[in-house]
Amino acid sequence: MSFAQKLADGQFVTLAELEPPKGVDVIAFVGHAQRVKGKVDAVVVPEMANAVMKISSLGGCMLLANKGLETVMQVCCRDRNRLALQADLLAAAALGITNLMAVEGDPPSYGDHHKARPVYDLNNQELMQAIAKLASGKDMAGVELEGTPHFTVGTTLNTGALGAVQQELAQLDQNLDAGAQYFITPPVFDLDQLAAFTKHLGDRQIKLIPNVLLLKSVGMARAIGRHLKHVHMPDELIERVKNAPDRVRECVQIAVELIEGIKAAGYSGVMISPLGWEDRLPHILGA
Amino acid sequence: MIVANGKPLEEIIAAVKDRQKILVAGCNECVTVCEVGGTKEVGILASALRLHFLNQGIKAEVGETTLQRQCDREYLVQARETVEPYDIVVSIACGVGCQFMAEEFSTQPVVPGVDTMFMGGALERGVWSERCQGCGTCLLAKTGGICPVSRCAKRVLNGPCGGSTKGKCEISKDVDCAWQLIIDRLKALGRLDDYETLMPIKDWSTDRAGGPRKRIKEEVAS
Repeated sequence: MSFAQKLADGQFVTLAELEPPKGVDVIAFVGHAQRVKGKVDAVVVPEMANAVMKISSLGGCMLLANKGLETVMQVCCRDRNRLALQADLLAAAALGITNLMAVEGDPPSYGDHHKARPVYDLNNQELMQAIAKLASGKDMAGVELEGTPHFTVGTTLNTGALGAVQQELAQLDQNLDAGAQYFITPPVFDLDQLAAFTKHLGDRQIKLIPNVLLLKSVGMARAIGRHLKHVHMPDELIERVKNAPDRVRECVQIAVELIEGIKAAGYSGVMISPLGWEDRLPHILGA
Repeated sequence: MIVANGKPLEEIIAAVKDRQKILVAGCNECVTVCEVGGTKEVGILASALRLHFLNQGIKAEVGETTLQRQCDREYLVQARETVEPYDIVVSIACGVGCQFMAEEFSTQPVVPGVDTMFMGGALERGVWSERCQGCGTCLLAKTGGICPVSRCAKRVLNGPCGGSTKGKCEISKDVDCAWQLIIDRLKALGRLDDYETLMPIKDWSTDRAGGPRKRIKEEVAS
């Protein structure tokens, strides 16, 4: 069953986020994806996350689609104007890539090409409106398309927005109006904090897919807790990694427990981001 | 100077409707020179608003003021007594002035009465032309004093492109090809050798790529 069908059916979906390479050696990227084939519903291919230049999401998705994997293409406002965005969306749909995740994109100053000129012609909501317009058979200029693309569109929901819940909910409503069908959260390390956020959702029946980012070390846990304001890192978790006899095993175990907790809590799915620990993904998924 | 264009009266009316006391605030600097936001234009806009309210049978008071500079806190503070009695301010300074006004009078609505367009100068009476986009890394020394960033439609740094015909840009016969101007100028300066030197790919981090910008002059900043 496809990602879109499972999502519509209310079945738990499992996504893995795999970064394409900076360069043309795609052996590891494709290999990692192939090893989780059948264990995940789709592979999310980021579009130059953190503004670091690498193979595009469309290219990465095509590489995996050629190996029979279902993918989620990220569409990003940072680097393309409305012409290029629509052109790539049509290309993706024509190539069979119809799962999308719309993102605004970090500014170039975050990445490795800080001299680049950012685009941001459309913002995230406008991008989703553009996607909806294409799915209605017309482009943003109102010109009729030869063949209408159909997409399953998701975006992000900042469930870590502690002091700005109302603003986040307002943005969520705009995203729902713009056609968002599922929402991916920032990395979650505290399921209670996530549950506390979801209480604010009221009667909005949204498909929420929490992100599980694999911790690698105490230092990484501390850095996340210190620098990522929208990610809640419990002190106990840092202590747990610190005191573990085998820290690597403990980090993997934390991810496994988070995934189990997410399933048990009835969320729509999970997106796992191995971020360098792709080789441990089959074990985590098989657990 | 910063060049702006007056907003349609209907848009301004829509922004101030339901307000009884409206202040039209001009600025004595750039917008006065480009004849869109000085004392004269404050009077014209205020009169137009009064006429509108009169025709609609609406009782509203429209005040007028022109600050020396709306982009300067020093003058905004002095204007406090004038501004505070009003329900809303229509700022016909540039976008900078309008924002500084809004920041200074944080509990009063401030709406723009002009659309701020560009940094430029007057070609003749009533005609202003763009000359600078504030990219943060000036190239004029290399291009004979003619800016390809603000004057070339494609911001080409090693032009001209194939769209240059008889000195005009392909986007409009009314637009000069910036690179034709640059070549003519370098020729006149006897510097055509400079034209042969390829310009490196531009660093846009000093433009908006690095986010909103701020300049700090250490020796005078407190």
